[in-house]
Amino acid sequence: MSIVACVKWVSHPGEPHDERFAGMSMADQSALEFALQQGELLGQPVTVITVGPAGADKVLRDALACGATRAIRIEAPTTAAGTDVATAIADHIADAEWVWCGDYSLDRGAGSVPPFIAAHLGAEQALGVIAVTLLGATVHATRRLDGGRRELLEVTAPAVVSVEGATARLRRAGLQHLRSAAAATIEVMPATTPIHRAEFMVRPYRPRARELPAPTGESPLDRLRVLTDAAAASAARGETVHLAPADAAARIVHALRDWGYRDS
Amino acid sequence: MTDRIISFQERMDTAEFRVHHQAHIVVDSRVCADCSTRECVIACPANLFIPTSDGGLVFNYEQCFECGTCYIVCNREGAISWSYPEGGHGVVFRRT
Amino acid sequence: MSTPDVDVIVVGAGPAGSCAAIVAARAGLDVVLLERGPFPGSKNMYGGVVYPRILDTLIPNWWEEAPIQRWVTRRSTMLLTDTQALTIDFRSEAWGEPPYNGATAFRPDWDHWLAGHAEAAGAQVLTDTTVVGLIRDPGGAVVGVRTDRPDGDLRAKVVIACDGVNSFLAKEAGLYEHTDAKHYTLGVKETLALPKEVIDERFAVRDRHGVDIEILGCTGNVNGGGFLYTGLDTLAVGVVLKLPKLAAQKKRPEEIVAGLKQHPAIAPLVQGAELKEYSAHLIPEAGLTMMPKMTMPGMLVAGDAAALCLAAGIWLEGVNFAMASGMYAGEAVVEALQANDTSATGLAGYQRRLSDTFVLKDHRKLHRAPELVLSDRVQHLYPGMVANVAERMFRVDNPHPKPGLRRILNEERKKAGVRRRDLLRDGWTGFRSFG
Repeated sequence: MSIVACVKWVSHPGEPHDERFAGMSMADQSALEFALQQGELLGQPVTVITVGPAGADKVLRDALACGATRAIRIEAPTTAAGTDVATAIADHIADAEWVWCGDYSLDRGAGSVPPFIAAHLGAEQALGVIAVTLLGATVHATRRLDGGRRELLEVTAPAVVSVEGATARLRRAGLQHLRSAAAATIEVMPATTPIHRAEFMVRPYRPRARELPAPTGESPLDRLRVLTDAAAASAARGETVHLAPADAAARIVHALRDWGYRDS
Repeated sequence: MTDRIISFQERMDTAEFRVHHQAHIVVDSRVCADCSTRECVIACPANLFIPTSDGGLVFNYEQCFECGTCYIVCNREGAISWSYPEGGHGVVFRRT
Repeated sequence: MSTPDVDVIVVGAGPAGSCAAIVAARAGLDVVLLERGPFPGSKNMYGGVVYPRILDTLIPNWWEEAPIQRWVTRRSTMLLTDTQALTIDFRSEAWGEPPYNGATAFRPDWDHWLAGHAEAAGAQVLTDTTVVGLIRDPGGAVVGVRTDRPDGDLRAKVVIACDGVNSFLAKEAGLYEHTDAKHYTLGVKETLALPKEVIDERFAVRDRHGVDIEILGCTGNVNGGGFLYTGLDTLAVGVVLKLPKLAAQKKRPEEIVAGLKQHPAIAPLVQGAELKEYSAHLIPEAGLTMMPKMTMPGMLVAGDAAALCLAAGIWLEGVNFAMASGMYAGEAVVEALQANDTSATGLAGYQRRLSDTFVLKDHRKLHRAPELVLSDRVQHLYPGMVANVAERMFRVDNPHPKPGLRRILNEERKKAGVRRRDLLRDGWTGFRSFG
């Protein structure tokens, strides 16, 4: 099991779960497409895996119709917490060399499952990738950075790659494959560790409202400058630090608090 | 109390459309250039056909109900080529 | 000649397609049901009322499981002018109990449910697959369909085309002599949200009981009609518009719906309701006048694809005709395949069933009704005339004594500019159609 695509079957956020409207995100579709292309390039089978209820078999069958060779569903509700989903997947694909994930699912989580899988597998990770070139033994991946910059990564196995939705268009399944996929076997497995319910829904980013003191300054222009933070902001906020991971995380949290995005 | 008047775009946003990258409506502007009646502009319930100031016609296909009104009311042979979008794409009704 | 992949291909998982597939699959045939939407019902829209009694044999006690919104126990016909409304209102408690009469339902629910029965019967339902053409043998007989998928040809002994009002398959096969815009109406509707209690109160119903209101005279200069139906916590309000008139009158469909919603008789019913979904669909309105040939070697046509939609003023039915024609197509196919004859003769059982049942009997009986209902006099002159007669009948105009009905009728007829001859003729046509 060296090439794996992870997909999620779920409804759009904010709507009651309805099997008719559930599916996989464009990002998951892109991930599946790269897995299939890589499988063809390397001459290896592709396993598609999901964590979800029986309804999720639909996206697995779609993946089989598109050319995946094996389908695994780990039994769990659609509300399973991302960390548990990652653990469950990692336990079943311990020998995977390439793991392809979408950067987001239809219900727009935090994109946390791919890095958790990478952590479990001890694999490299390239997350939120916006372009992919498959090169046999390696993969070149492009990431988006601040200020319009790009980061080019050379990824080697074992690795987890999560891709954005516009990176590839999933191939259309042939009619005969679609027919045979309807009868194909889907390996249904229990989760190896307990699955908890996601404690909170991750919502799209909305910075909280901040209280601003009345601007001080002699002239209206000065006050306007203070109010818009025009002079201070860019200088104060751009900061490159070299710290150990734990210290770096603490520094980020500190900055967020300073900027008013966190209460405590 | 009077109910809020909604814009046409808000109206269209109540329906779900899974847009395919290829248009399933094609208008041959050479054929409809000298059409003065422009039935499609009036009758299309999704208001997809927009006359331009220079006498031309632009069209959208993204928010199409796939009803077929446009090509059936059209008086010009060959002006509107219309087919269903690729399977799985296009309008998805919910409470209709 | 290559061998067929399956016995039967049914194109379109609407009410006609699913019923055809249920019948064929239950008879042990290998059936593929193709649907272009992501799920059955996702492309389908109608006014909002279904009359499901035809399912009694196919799905016994269907009412225990069918995804309906409300049972129609109140049925009103409304005549509107700008400032008047005349309503004939009927209610029956019997329609709120098994076996019921009509029900409001959403097509994405209803069609999905019916297709589930087709799947349970053993048919393979393939969604997200658009049929783009027919495969025919050198003799012209249909031997399969071409889909928009790679490697997308599928061959069968028989194809049942239930591909809806636009039926590109029936047209490709030449079963329609010609298509004319005047045979079609455009249905446009708004699904509006209101709390169930508010609907119950405004429409004077309880529990799962609901209301079906058909409206004449609400579409301005565009010939057509309107409707208002109650869902559980939604209303469906919309209009049906004659296509050539719509294009000629320079009035957009959504404006006509807005006009209906603002009518003094309708506005209080829909006030405060939030638009949940706007939708539109074509209706094959002209009945017998437009119907195609129903069969050809290797293929049958059912449902809207065969123009089996009854639009006769007070009767607006389509899903029941679709389900019935689908069933009969399925039965005819089973018969034909048992006899190993899918020629026109072998499939003739379909036409016979249509002719012997309500499907064509109702159409023959009411064949003048669609034209009459959409005629200019019925549309633009009679509603005002009748409403004025009612107004004068019920107006207490003291000290003037009450005028006689005959005098009022005569005066209002003249005022409306209706010739006696035309009125008598329309009355006779109506009597012959509906009587």
